Amino acid sequence: MNNLLAARQAPGVLIQVTDLTKSYQTDSGTIYVLKDVNLSIDPGEIVAVMGPSGSGKSTLLFILGIFISPTTGSYLLGGEDVLRLDRNAQAEFRRNRVGFVFQSCDLLENSTVYENLEFPLIYAGVARGERPARIGAALDLVNLGHRIHHSSNRLSGGERQRVAVARALVNQPQVILADEPTGQLDRSHGHQVMDHFVEIVSHSQTSIVVVTHDPEMAARCTRVCSIRDGILYEQ
Amino acid sequence: MRLNDLMTVSVRQVVRHRRRYLGVVLAIALGVAGFINIITMSRVVKTNFNEDLDLIGGVTVIRLYFDNNRSYRPQWFRDNTLAALSRLNGVKEMSLMAVHTANTNWHGQQYGFSVLGVDEAFWQVRNFWAQTGNLFGAESVAGRKRECVLGAELARKIFGSHDVRGRSLEINNESYWVSGVLGGVTDSGSANAAFLPLTTTKDRMAGQVLTDRLYLRCQTWDDVSRIAAAIPAIIKANQSPEELHVEVSWEGLKRVQQLAWWIQFLIYLAISATFILGGVGIWNVMMAAVVTRTREIGLKKAMGAEDKDILAQFLSEALCLSMGAALLGGLLGRIMMEILGRLLGIRPPENLFFLGLALGFLFAVILGVGAGLYPSLRASRMEVVTAIRYE
Ligand SMILES: Nc1ncnc2c1ncn2[C@@H]1O[C@H](COP(=O)(O)OP(=O)(O)O)[C@@H](O)[C@H]1O
Ligand SMILES: [Mg+2]
Repeated sequence: MNNLLAARQAPGVLIQVTDLTKSYQTDSGTIYVLKDVNLSIDPGEIVAVMGPSGSGKSTLLFILGIFISPTTGSYLLGGEDVLRLDRNAQAEFRRNRVGFVFQSCDLLENSTVYENLEFPLIYAGVARGERPARIGAALDLVNLGHRIHHSSNRLSGGERQRVAVARALVNQPQVILADEPTGQLDRSHGHQVMDHFVEIVSHSQTSIVVVTHDPEMAARCTRVCSIRDGILYEQ
Repeated sequence: MRLNDLMTVSVRQVVRHRRRYLGVVLAIALGVAGFINIITMSRVVKTNFNEDLDLIGGVTVIRLYFDNNRSYRPQWFRDNTLAALSRLNGVKEMSLMAVHTANTNWHGQQYGFSVLGVDEAFWQVRNFWAQTGNLFGAESVAGRKRECVLGAELARKIFGSHDVRGRSLEINNESYWVSGVLGGVTDSGSANAAFLPLTTTKDRMAGQVLTDRLYLRCQTWDDVSRIAAAIPAIIKANQSPEELHVEVSWEGLKRVQQLAWWIQFLIYLAISATFILGGVGIWNVMMAAVVTRTREIGLKKAMGAEDKDILAQFLSEALCLSMGAALLGGLLGRIMMEILGRLLGIRPPENLFFLGLALGFLFAVILGVGAGLYPSLRASRMEVVTAIRYE
C-alpha cells in the first residue's frame, strides 16, 4: 500500500497532500474547515499560504505537522504515509522532519536562547558535546550568535521570532511550518525573518510553508496559495 | 530523553521557580526534621520525661520485700539475687534497705521511731532530695559513719525546726551527726523515720538487721510490667521466694502510659499532618503547573517530545522537589537534634539519625511520586493542538 502510494507520487516531491478535508462535529452541526485540499511541495520551495482569518490556514499547518489528523484524504511526506504513524512515531516525525514557528513568539520562558534551542536536540538524542556547534550554526543563520546565552525574556520581539526560526531548523528538518511568523512584527523585522527563510532554502533542500497576511512577504515566496471557504487555490 | 538531561532540566526548573515551590518544600522539610527527631530522641526523651513524672507517681519504681513478720525463717536479699536482678534488661538502678526501730532521749523526752538503713543509691531511686542540709553519699556508707538524715516530721518533733544540719542526735544512746532533712514526695513512714547508712545500721543496731527490702527503678514505664513479671522466677532461682512481695503502682503506671501514648499520638499526628500537607501541596503545585505550563508542554511536544518525556520531566520535578525538601529536612533535623541533645545533655546514637534520614527520604520519594504522578500523567497526555491553541 505504502509503496503503491509512493509510486503515485511525482519524483522529487517532498509533500503530497491529496483530497484533504477537515470537519468538526459541533452542537450546531458539522463545520467543514478544509474541503478537498490538494497541495504538492518540492524540496527547497517556500510556499506562502494566505487567506482571511478563520479560513483554515492554521488547521492546514497543524495537519502538515500532524498535530491534528484530517477527516479524510492522504498526506505523504518524502513518500511516506505519515497519517499512519502511531503516537510515538508522530513525536519522532515532529522532532526529526518538521520544524514549527508559531505566531506568538513561543519561546520557553525563564530559559536562555541556548536552552530553547537545546530541547529539540535533547529530544532527538543528540549528544551533549555536539549540541553547542549545532546551536551555534543555527543561530548564525539568523544572525543571533551573540545572543546565545541571553535570557529569552530579555529579547526584542524580532529577536524572539528569529530565535524561534533557529529553533525550528536546528534539527535540520525537511520542512519548516511557520504560522504567521511575522504577524506580530513590524515591517522591517518581518522582512528580516523572510530574509532568513530565503537564505535557508538557498543552501539546503528544506521546504518552508509560511502563513502570512502580508502580500509583500508572499511576493518573496516561490509560490502563493490562498484558502477561501476551506478551498485552497494556487495563484 | 537521557537521564542526565532529565536531571539538568528538572533541577533547573525547580531552582528557577523556587518561589513557587518554597512553601511545599518547607512543609516537607519540617515533617522530615520532626520525624528524624522523633526517631532519635523518643527513647531518651521518654527516659527523661519518666524521671520527671516520677516525682508525682514513682511509677517506674518496683518495691520488693520479704514479709518476715509472718515467716519462721527470715529472708533477705542475697548477693547473687541482687546481681541477677541488676542484670535484667531495663533495670536502671536498685537500692537495698533494712528496717529497724530505735529511740532517742531528747531533753528528757523519749521518742521511738524507725531507722531505715539505706545505701547511697536510695535517694536517686526514690527521687528524694535534701530539704535542708545534705543527703549522705557513698563515702559515708563505705566509711560506716555515724551520720543520719531525718524525715521532715521527725526533725520537727525532735528539734522543732528543719534547720538541723550539724546538730547531733542520740540514737540508742549513741551520738549521730545530722546531715540533713529529707525532701521530695514522702509518705508518712519516710517523714517519721531516720535514715542511716546501711553499713552503720548493720554495725550498730541490736539484734539481726535484715536487708529485706529492695527498690528497683526501671528505665522507662514500658519496662515495668515485664520486669515485675520476671522477678519471682529470678528470686526463686537464687533463694527461697517465701513471703516475697512485689509491689507496683499499677494505677499510676496506667495513667502515665496513657498520657504518654496521647502525647506520642499527637506528635505523630502533627508529623503526618505535615506530610499530608506536603503531599497535597505537591499535588496542588504540580496541578497548577500543568495548567500554567500548558503552552510549554505544547511547545515541547511540537519540538518532538514524546508522552514519556513529558511524564518523566514532570515526575522528576516532583521528585526533585520532595527529595530537595528531604535533604533540607535532614539538615534541619540534624540541627534540631544537636540543639535538643545539648539541651537534654544526651547524645543519641548516630545510626538512629541515619535510620530517620533514610525513612524521611523514603517518605519523600513516595510523596513525590504519589502526589506528582497524576498531574504528570495529565501533562503527558495533553494533545499538542490543545496546548498550542491554549491562550
Ligand atoms: N476544535 C475545533 N472545533 C470546531 N471548530 C474549530 C476547531 N478548531 C478550529 N475550528 C474552526 O476552524 C476554523 C479555522 O481555524 P484556523 O485554522 O485557526 O483559522 P486561521 O488560522 O485561518 O485563522 C475556524 O472557524 C475555527 O473556529
Ligand atoms: Mg491561524
